[in-house]
Amino acid sequence: MLDTVQTVRRPPGRTSSGPARSARRRPRFGPYLLILPALVTIAVLLIWPVAQIARMSFQKVGLRQLRGEPAENVGLDNYRQILGDDEFWAALRHTLLFAAVAVAATLVVGTLVGLLLNRLGRRMSAFVAGGVLIAWATPPVTAAVIFAWLFGTTGGLVGWFLDLLPNWLVGGGWQNYNWFSSPLPDYTVLTICVVWMSFPFVAVSVLAGLRTVPGELYEAARVDGSSAWNTFWKITFPLLRPVFGVLLTMSVIWDFRVFTQLFVLSGLANSDSFNLSLYGYSEAFGSLNAKYGLGSAIAMVLTVLVLIVTAVHTRMIVRQEGVA
Amino acid sequence: MRYTRAAAAAVALAVAVTGCGGKKKADDNAKGADPAKIVVWQMGDGSPEQTKFLDGVAAEFHQKHPKTAVQVQYIPWPQATQKFQTAIAGGSGPDVTEVGNTDVQSWAEQGAFADVTDKVSSWAEGKTLSKNALANDQLDGKTYAVPWYGGVRAVWYHKDWFTKLGIQPPKTWADLVTAAKTIQDKKHVPGIAAPSDFTNGILSFVWANGGDVATKQGDKWVGTLEQPQAKEAIEFYAGLVTKDKVAPDKYVGKNELQGPQQDFALGKIGMYMDGSWALPQLEKVNKKDEKNWGVFPIPGKTGGLAPVFSGGSDLAVWKDSKYKDVAFDYLTTLDSKKNSKAFADTLKFLPQFTDILQSGAYQSDPIMGPFAQAAASGVKFTPTSKGWADYEGSKKVLPNAVKAIMQGKSADDELKKADEQAGTLLNQ
Repeated sequence: MLDTVQTVRRPPGRTSSGPARSARRRPRFGPYLLILPALVTIAVLLIWPVAQIARMSFQKVGLRQLRGEPAENVGLDNYRQILGDDEFWAALRHTLLFAAVAVAATLVVGTLVGLLLNRLGRRMSAFVAGGVLIAWATPPVTAAVIFAWLFGTTGGLVGWFLDLLPNWLVGGGWQNYNWFSSPLPDYTVLTICVVWMSFPFVAVSVLAGLRTVPGELYEAARVDGSSAWNTFWKITFPLLRPVFGVLLTMSVIWDFRVFTQLFVLSGLANSDSFNLSLYGYSEAFGSLNAKYGLGSAIAMVLTVLVLIVTAVHTRMIVRQEGVA
Repeated sequence: MRYTRAAAAAVALAVAVTGCGGKKKADDNAKGADPAKIVVWQMGDGSPEQTKFLDGVAAEFHQKHPKTAVQVQYIPWPQATQKFQTAIAGGSGPDVTEVGNTDVQSWAEQGAFADVTDKVSSWAEGKTLSKNALANDQLDGKTYAVPWYGGVRAVWYHKDWFTKLGIQPPKTWADLVTAAKTIQDKKHVPGIAAPSDFTNGILSFVWANGGDVATKQGDKWVGTLEQPQAKEAIEFYAGLVTKDKVAPDKYVGKNELQGPQQDFALGKIGMYMDGSWALPQLEKVNKKDEKNWGVFPIPGKTGGLAPVFSGGSDLAVWKDSKYKDVAFDYLTTLDSKKNSKAFADTLKFLPQFTDILQSGAYQSDPIMGPFAQAAASGVKFTPTSKGWADYEGSKKVLPNAVKAIMQGKSADDELKKADEQAGTLLNQ
């Protein structure tokens, strides 16, 4: 189409010589040339490693193979071994349940704090925003170590505090309570730790979104006597829908691949609390006999899961924006 | 564009060619003159004592090889596995390395170490190396490492508490439970720590009762935790938490360093099991209580001593080393009877020469005495299969089984499952 238009518009009397041809081509290659650096970077740092992992997931790869011995192709053996392992299904269940709970909690807490920040005065708002952003900026390892201490058995702050509360309310013996030996308490601590770290980003994004909503809308709502609940669902949420869409997708991706915090909190010794990332790590690097093939297969499963979620949400966002 | 590419190719080619040339030259050198330097890997953070000791060893080594510098690199224990994996994959290892003794089988199997069978057999001082410890370094009849220092686990206790409560160091399992109960009643702290992620300690109880984790039948390893002796020992250990209630459940899913060690130093638990090497760490937590700490060997069920697992370090020559002879000279200097004892003493470990252990040098030492006594009574090693690294490392079979039993699962089911896993993991 473009070509025809250009041909038609070409000034008369000119032959299709070199300069003209290149002028025609420029709009086609120019944009690609501009995104080329980004594409190359992504290809080298992301696509190539993913392709390697996909290939390794069908092979038996250990240290000897890394030294140059040819890797043996084992077909679907790695996948068969994973699917037949009870630990895998437990890890998958933990990953899905944790993502559902943590994402919901992150979005709810983050939105509430965002709304609060919007209502606060400028100085107080800056103070609170600065405070929560420190939580966001904390490296996961640091946060996990702090939480491991908070919920630890020797000198743990949480156990000490719960023991100070009256026994009829929370029961006794919290000082010696082992938070990390079974999945439910373990994941409770993990959820708190992860939500604590990730809600600030949601809060600040929601705040940024709220600042774009025209004040008249809220004024009108107030005049009409709308409750805060109604105002949120009838005005704020519909207007910030794209923001929430992006936040939801990103939270899902982040919470699907939580590794550091769980690794520090309960570690490799509590395999009944594994999630998919920790399970994959344990299989690939957990012992001296590295099993990169098996680890790759688990990584592939996790990647596909995240891709499905991302694809669904990206589609939703694109469709919404098309309608809007 | 084309010109640049050609130039780049030429440079790459030149690098490759000179690189090859260099390598060849080095190989020639290996046969003749001494190299300019050898690289030695040591585990840990490199304490001042260790650095001073190694400087002394280097000076001694220089008497034989004056032209060869010794470059020591410290590798923290938690990074050792990854560092080894990278070095094996990339061909950039040291000449001599320290290696954890439970890891020797796996690394040797993966081709990390040079075969030093002949060198060891012509090493005069090596004749009295502990037989069991050396066997742990052999694979298919070839020797890939030599034992350097080792240590065993025993039970740490508060001497002042025992005196005040009139308890004798336990000699049987029943004594152990009674002592723990007394402490719990009178001192209001848990009697003993029984962490579940503690394969080597739990095995002492299994071995004490005549059981084992797996035995080799013909060519195949067979898990034997289901057998009555092993099962009884594991039920006893897990029972410290569930049945006798003298061990708290806060250490379930943890190892001896994730709580028990610190709690013992702070006087928040009566007894815990660890090696002599724990002393420097315990002192770090609570120096002023040091004189009140004592040690007794892990008791057998009805008396006698439990055969204990020996943890420690060995020394190996790296397979990719270009100067294996010089490297082995350094190794024997480092592991000479004099030097290995001196170093083991600073670390609170024991040297691996049978004649030194039996010489009575340790019997008068209040802390090292019981450890030497335990070591002399019989040191055992875990199955010499490369799969042991999976059994203990990634799958943590015994810790998981013990954890499940401590949390109320049936011992029969869990140990059956553990033996099935032993069958697949140890025979791969």
